[in-house]
Amino acid sequence: MNPINTFVPIIQGLKITLSHLFKKPVTLQYPTERPKVAERFRGLHALNVSHNKAKCVACYLCPTVCPAKCITVEAGEDANHDKYAAKYEIDMLRCIFCGYCVEACPVDAIRMTGEFELANYSRKDFVYSKERLLEKK
Amino acid sequence: MVNLTIDDKQVTAPKNATIYEAAKINGIKIPILCHDKKLKPFGACRMCLVEVEQMKGRQIPACTTPVTDGMIIRTSTPDIIKARKMVLELLLLNHPIDCPVCDKGGDCDLQNLTYEYQVNANRFSDEKFHHEIDYSNPLIERDMNRCVLCGKCARICDEIVSFGALTFISRGIETKIGCEFEGALNCEFCGSCVSVCPVGSLLARPFKYKARFWALTNHKSVCSYCGTGCNLTLGVKDNKVLTTVYDENQGFHNGQLCCRGRFGYQFINSDKRLTTPLVRKNGVLTEAGWDEALELVASRLKGSGASAAALSTPRLANEELVLFKKLMETAGSANYDHSAGYAHAALTEGFARSFGATASPATIPDIQKSDLLLVIKTDSYETHPVVGFEINMAVKNKGAKLNILSDKRGKLSKLPDATTLVHTPGCEVAVINAMAKAILDEKLAAGSAAAIPGYADLEKALAGFTPDAVAGQSGLSAAAIRQFATDYAKAGKALIIFPIGNAYPGHNADLASAVANLAILTGKFGEGSGVLCMAEKNNSQGAVDMGFYATSGLNAGQIIDGCASGAIKTLFIAGENPVVSYPNRAAVTAALDKVEFLVVSDLFMTETAAMADVVLPACSFAEKEGTFTSVDRRVQHIKPAIGKIGKSRTDFEIFGTLIAKLGGQAPATPAAVFGEIAASVPGYAGMSYASLGEVGAFAPVIVKATFVAPKAAVVEPVAGKLALVTGSVLYHNGTLSQFGEGPMYVCPEGYVELSRGDAAKLKIEENDLLNVASATGSTKLKARITPRMPEGVLFSPYHFGAAGINQVWSGAPVTWVTVTK
Repeated sequence: MNPINTFVPIIQGLKITLSHLFKKPVTLQYPTERPKVAERFRGLHALNVSHNKAKCVACYLCPTVCPAKCITVEAGEDANHDKYAAKYEIDMLRCIFCGYCVEACPVDAIRMTGEFELANYSRKDFVYSKERLLEKK
Repeated sequence: MVNLTIDDKQVTAPKNATIYEAAKINGIKIPILCHDKKLKPFGACRMCLVEVEQMKGRQIPACTTPVTDGMIIRTSTPDIIKARKMVLELLLLNHPIDCPVCDKGGDCDLQNLTYEYQVNANRFSDEKFHHEIDYSNPLIERDMNRCVLCGKCARICDEIVSFGALTFISRGIETKIGCEFEGALNCEFCGSCVSVCPVGSLLARPFKYKARFWALTNHKSVCSYCGTGCNLTLGVKDNKVLTTVYDENQGFHNGQLCCRGRFGYQFINSDKRLTTPLVRKNGVLTEAGWDEALELVASRLKGSGASAAALSTPRLANEELVLFKKLMETAGSANYDHSAGYAHAALTEGFARSFGATASPATIPDIQKSDLLLVIKTDSYETHPVVGFEINMAVKNKGAKLNILSDKRGKLSKLPDATTLVHTPGCEVAVINAMAKAILDEKLAAGSAAAIPGYADLEKALAGFTPDAVAGQSGLSAAAIRQFATDYAKAGKALIIFPIGNAYPGHNADLASAVANLAILTGKFGEGSGVLCMAEKNNSQGAVDMGFYATSGLNAGQIIDGCASGAIKTLFIAGENPVVSYPNRAAVTAALDKVEFLVVSDLFMTETAAMADVVLPACSFAEKEGTFTSVDRRVQHIKPAIGKIGKSRTDFEIFGTLIAKLGGQAPATPAAVFGEIAASVPGYAGMSYASLGEVGAFAPVIVKATFVAPKAAVVEPVAGKLALVTGSVLYHNGTLSQFGEGPMYVCPEGYVELSRGDAAKLKIEENDLLNVASATGSTKLKARITPRMPEGVLFSPYHFGAAGINQVWSGAPVTWVTVTK
């Protein structure tokens, strides 16, 4: 066995390791340090609000396009005979964060936020109701 | 047939086809917005433009141009596509692009074509319309902003429904579809306009915003209201029937439905449905398990013999009726019946003796093939509205003559050239006998009639029924009766139509024999002729065919009497609601109070179920398998569209379990029972679920004619009193429709209809609460003043539990009542 063939790769490897000691670390000291979320990151959904009410008109396109079948919409008729989402629920345990719902929405009523901390203690807490999804001002 | 070339394809088409139809037959799709196969060509939308070589390449509408031999047609040249795109652009110019909130989205012809032709932008610009949206009624929403002016709604309302509620109003760019004086829609709410609307201008409000069309699973079924046997497509989502879906290729009626068929489906998923068996404990109905409830019922039925009796609704499937009969036979009782015992007598007694068959020797498709329709009672439209549409079309499109014999005028009387003879109530049989007499006297009878058994007796029996003699009591002129007789006898093909049902005690065996005599005398049988007796409920004809009526035991009336006298100790009522639908409520209630053990299987806690000792939750037609037989003996197969509601079970399962508990042998599946039916019921031979398919099959009726002299009851007027006749109202059928939201929106309560003359005399105004009293009892009903009623006659529908007319009505064809404010 040739000693050069044995030791050269080890030294080369150690060189890379050593060089990282002098670089800025990749890891974050989460939760004290927060990541900078990319603008187009697909996190928790938010229902957009306009004129103090959800923009959603309950057209059912998002539950139709959703590949994970995690969106439940029930339409209602308000006092002006307009259509609105009486119920809008997303089951985050099923959601695959593909963003098709945002793409399908004809009225720009749903978007995806940078919110990624979705851990919770019970399964039912992962089902986000309309109130929880409405964008926070 | 003519030969022509469409898109380089050699095809043939019928001589009277349009280019559009010829293309459709040969599988070539031409886009169109204003066409429906039931309606006459109109040519409004300009989407179906095609090029015909012989017409120098001009673009012509395919839907209004008839084919000619050797025509060379091109349906999609670049020029045509350009023209169609422009048509779409112009339509979209004023159309609000509110697809996300429009309920038609996904099922919209305009949306589909826009997508197909990729009309992504518009070269023109204009303001959208700002018409007011009509929310005035709870069934049909009219948003004229979305309208593309195809005119289908106005045309179907005129050509088929013959109501004429909608029409084009204004001209030019202002043109819109509107009602009279631009008012709110106030019609019979059949929803035909909604079904044909290619865009979201007309929407069914009960289904509004409930679901998108693509989320629905369509299940084909048969309507469970009247006996017409209309086919339905149920739109189901999450085990709920959310709507009825229009399918122009379905059934003899091409998807056409009435108010209750289209808007009355909500009873299936009603919150009021019974979901668990109930057993009366310490005087209170308490929830119980199926085992407990059925064990209790079985213990009462076991060996009960003639002290047990059964009443069934003719809404059950044929298979269930057979099992119910078997259950009673296992218990040792022959006391079973349906429909108050008299409502099927026209078939089971009248036709049985006159035709040797318990069914009508005519079918609904015969109506449009006939030259003359003789309709007994204008109520034929109300009891069977889709048959009514067939009559409308026969009269308006096929030129059939319409003669009506009735105790009041009605919608049918308004048809072009319809002649209505309004006679005094209760003398139908006498008038028809007089017609038969006139036919005999004027030697208009068929040559072979004299050879038919009973001819001599009939001649003798009719001696007293000369038109002149009957004219007096019936309030008609002898000449009018003679004219009706001549019209009938001289028509090439003539069809007699009359309804029967709980509310029509006068339409009995004698009336059936009387009309049968007319048909036999003149030999009016075969295609386009005959007699069509329209039984009331979806499977009334089936109940008769299955023999679910008193043959050796007690009939329904006698069963009620038996309960009152104590002879009947156990009564099993399946689906029937005698407290509301049988005459004389006080007597029925007393009888049901008296009976020792009352079992009711029903969908709802009806007035009758509330009195029961055991209540069994049954399944609706949408949850079970079986067959229904329509009035013209079309046997149709239904399959479950949704799962069973709660713990409910089908009547088939209930009867099967009980038979097993009584030690009998019950067939396991409806298919097995249908096999037995096919083997034993005349006319059903050779049928199976597979052979029935989606369209069903007619059970043929073989007529063995005999003349039977019918007895004509004489109704003596009572001085100072008004004649009350009962009947069905257009929006309801039996008592079930009380649980359908649509029918209840339009007609929520009973009423009494009276003439303007009587109203003026008694100083009654519309909606006054009247006290209607007879020897039987009294009730309070709202007044409705209409021009159709003759003076001295009142009409009241019988469907309603609250303030029911059966508190006043004892079961006589005519009840004499006093009316006070």
